[in-house]
Amino acid sequence: MNAIDPAMPVAMGHVDSDGRLTEAEGRLAELNLRAGGSLGAPLAVPQIATLARLAQRLGISISRNVIAADGEDDLELWVRADPKDGGVRLQVSGWRPRPVWRAAASEPERDGDFFRSAADWLWETDASLRITFLSIEAGARYGFDSSAMLGQPLTRLFALEEDETGALPILSAVAAQARFDGQKAELRGTGRMVRLDATPRTDPGGRFAGFVGGAHMLDGAPVAAPKVDAPLPSAPFAGFPDSFGQRLDRALRGPLGKIIANADSISAQTEGPIKPDYAGYATDIASAGRHLLGLVDDLVNLQTIERDDFHTRVEPIDLAEVARQAAGLLAVRAAQAEVRIDRPPTDESLPCTGEFRRALQVLVNLIGNAVRYSPPGAMVWIRLEREGDRACVIVADQGKGIAAEDQDKIFEKFGRVDPSEPGGSGLGLYIARRLARAMGGDLTVDSAPGMGARFVFTLPWRDPMPGAAFGA
Amino acid sequence: MSDNPVDMRDGAAVGAKKLLARAAAADVRALHMLEIAVDDFFLPEESRLDERTRSALAVLLRGLVDTVEAEIREPAARLLNARGEPALALALTEADPVLARLSRSGLLRDPELMAELMARVRQELLGNALPMHAPDDPERPSLINRFVQHPDRVVAAAAMAVLIAESRRRASPESGQYAQTELPAELHHRLVWWVAAALRESVLEAAENAPADMLDRALSEAAQRSLAAYDEGERLEAAGMRFAAAIDAQPSELGHLLVESLEDRRIVLFTALLGHALGVTYALARDIVLDPAGDRLWLAMRALELARDIIARTGYALSEADPRRDLESFADTLDAIASIGASEARKALAPMKLHPDYRAAVLALGRDGGRAR
Repeated sequence: MNAIDPAMPVAMGHVDSDGRLTEAEGRLAELNLRAGGSLGAPLAVPQIATLARLAQRLGISISRNVIAADGEDDLELWVRADPKDGGVRLQVSGWRPRPVWRAAASEPERDGDFFRSAADWLWETDASLRITFLSIEAGARYGFDSSAMLGQPLTRLFALEEDETGALPILSAVAAQARFDGQKAELRGTGRMVRLDATPRTDPGGRFAGFVGGAHMLDGAPVAAPKVDAPLPSAPFAGFPDSFGQRLDRALRGPLGKIIANADSISAQTEGPIKPDYAGYATDIASAGRHLLGLVDDLVNLQTIERDDFHTRVEPIDLAEVARQAAGLLAVRAAQAEVRIDRPPTDESLPCTGEFRRALQVLVNLIGNAVRYSPPGAMVWIRLEREGDRACVIVADQGKGIAAEDQDKIFEKFGRVDPSEPGGSGLGLYIARRLARAMGGDLTVDSAPGMGARFVFTLPWRDPMPGAAFGA
Repeated sequence: MSDNPVDMRDGAAVGAKKLLARAAAADVRALHMLEIAVDDFFLPEESRLDERTRSALAVLLRGLVDTVEAEIREPAARLLNARGEPALALALTEADPVLARLSRSGLLRDPELMAELMARVRQELLGNALPMHAPDDPERPSLINRFVQHPDRVVAAAAMAVLIAESRRRASPESGQYAQTELPAELHHRLVWWVAAALRESVLEAAENAPADMLDRALSEAAQRSLAAYDEGERLEAAGMRFAAAIDAQPSELGHLLVESLEDRRIVLFTALLGHALGVTYALARDIVLDPAGDRLWLAMRALELARDIIARTGYALSEADPRRDLESFADTLDAIASIGASEARKALAPMKLHPDYRAAVLALGRDGGRAR
């Protein structure tokens, strides 16, 4: 009858009509003792005492999630107070150390937002796993009658499938009151497969009150092959599933864009003046948001270039022009950082082969790094050279340079010399080098601490068209 | 690049006259800003909108206007295309969104519209903040889900309609558009014509020589089409009232149904059950439920002869959900509330059962009379 998790034992207690603790089991008695109370004296844990008093005055049983100080720690408790025999009977469970930080939004709300951004459609149930909410447009889109499913058991809509161990993730989740993901199911009567994720709703007494979940369509996935995106552990990591990048993009770009835009408008004080420190915080939020957005870009890129079938186009390009464009794109950022970019003069050209867009990506990364690590008033040089059958662009800065032992590390995935330094995901140079090599060129560095860094980006040389000028 | 979108004005072309005119206008504007700031400063703290309500209201208003706008703009553009006016259709498709124009016009300050929107926002926030409550028996379905299984088909269908309406109202927050506005019909009508008029103005401003008669015809046909398709009976509130009428709770059941609907966090159901039992409109029941002072609600519950513990549970749940309510003072007054006789309470509530328009007139006269003196 009571669904309180056995892993979180219940301690019973009783408070008389004057608020004195007359009975208390193990943990409750200890907690009260540590708070300076004793049996026969008023209950010494203020949050529980308040709840007991309230239950008595209102004459109804009350459940609440209570945070109680226990020595140096905070304990998260579920307290139920029932008025009984003139006093109040207490049931205290939970007894978990409280997480250091929690977001202000309620959990189901936040989870709902999370699912909403990633799932194809949403569903919710009550404690008996009957559907209380469905995205109403999902039915029409995926071939079932949403309205007829409302109020029905979840299993009426989904034919649940066992996982590799023969268990139903959703049932284990009900038992443990935990979140689950990867529950595969067939949308009954449609032959279409979905993957279900959900988090439980818990009432203030710590009891299971239903699920808030999302459904992902597994289009084209045949029923008999449930292991498509679960490769054997012994196989080498084959990269993220194809949909990962798109989903990441979709899930993060929108919310991040909103965060940045709102933080920018707070910091610009467009809605009216605010205290300067708050505007400053908003600036921090916006720049952290931009950093995350950059990371999303990098991860999406990473996913693309690590695929086996990744290739670049071979087209005649002018590396000098690419460098000028990259420098132009970074002009504003350089001006903000008070760094000057010495870009190649317009009459110079450096013919080679590669893919224009990808070469631009590499150079934007190199020049962007150079700007970031340059002190104010410094200069970033871009030089063009030909070395035999290679066309080289050299990007040099006056930053603090890179020690010889770190020079390999910077090209590694997530490799950063100084992780405490702001900005950068640790993916940029890794991606840039992979791109350079995919185009038949390379990306190398030579530098010494205190001497600035010098990055050399090479691509295969191409004989210029007749009449084209070539300098440097 | 020839089309620099940043600044088309030539600095030197702003003549001295223009500058002086602008400076004079700035003076007036500064005065106006000051007046607004002074008004803002003297707003009593307790009657200010809190940020949550304010932002939810903004989202709702934008969503409703966008919904109506899409309902008119696209069909009207199709009509224009079909009638050989592709340029006009394009101008309509590309016309600016109308929300800013409507806000500027003051039309959206319509008291009835704002009262409805404010109540809807408050109702939603309150519903979302109600404490979760798991059933004692985990196998027992929630209130509305049990009624979906009811052998009486009228009851089952009414319960289903509530679930559908609730799912529909929450649908598609990304697009910012709703399946329908779910406003009372009269307000929906007003909003549709306002949006049509704002679209007209926007198109005619952008394309000076546009054939206004063709535009007017297309817009008004599209608006009428939207009005014809609108069914206020599909509103969540209406579905709730139909459900309450279908189960027509007996006095002995009412208290438990009310408490359970709160435990299931279905504030609309709670309000509808209360409204039906009191014999008042949904809108009035909602006012009573949302009022943080709560006095009318306690009176209403006493008039329905609901017991002390039902009132206590209701007061507790609403206080947990609404920070404006004071649980301690509710606990203090609970005994006094419980001691009010049912007939006494009914007498005190009698004016509420008067015809809504009559009541509104009495209220308006009272307010106006106070001001005139």
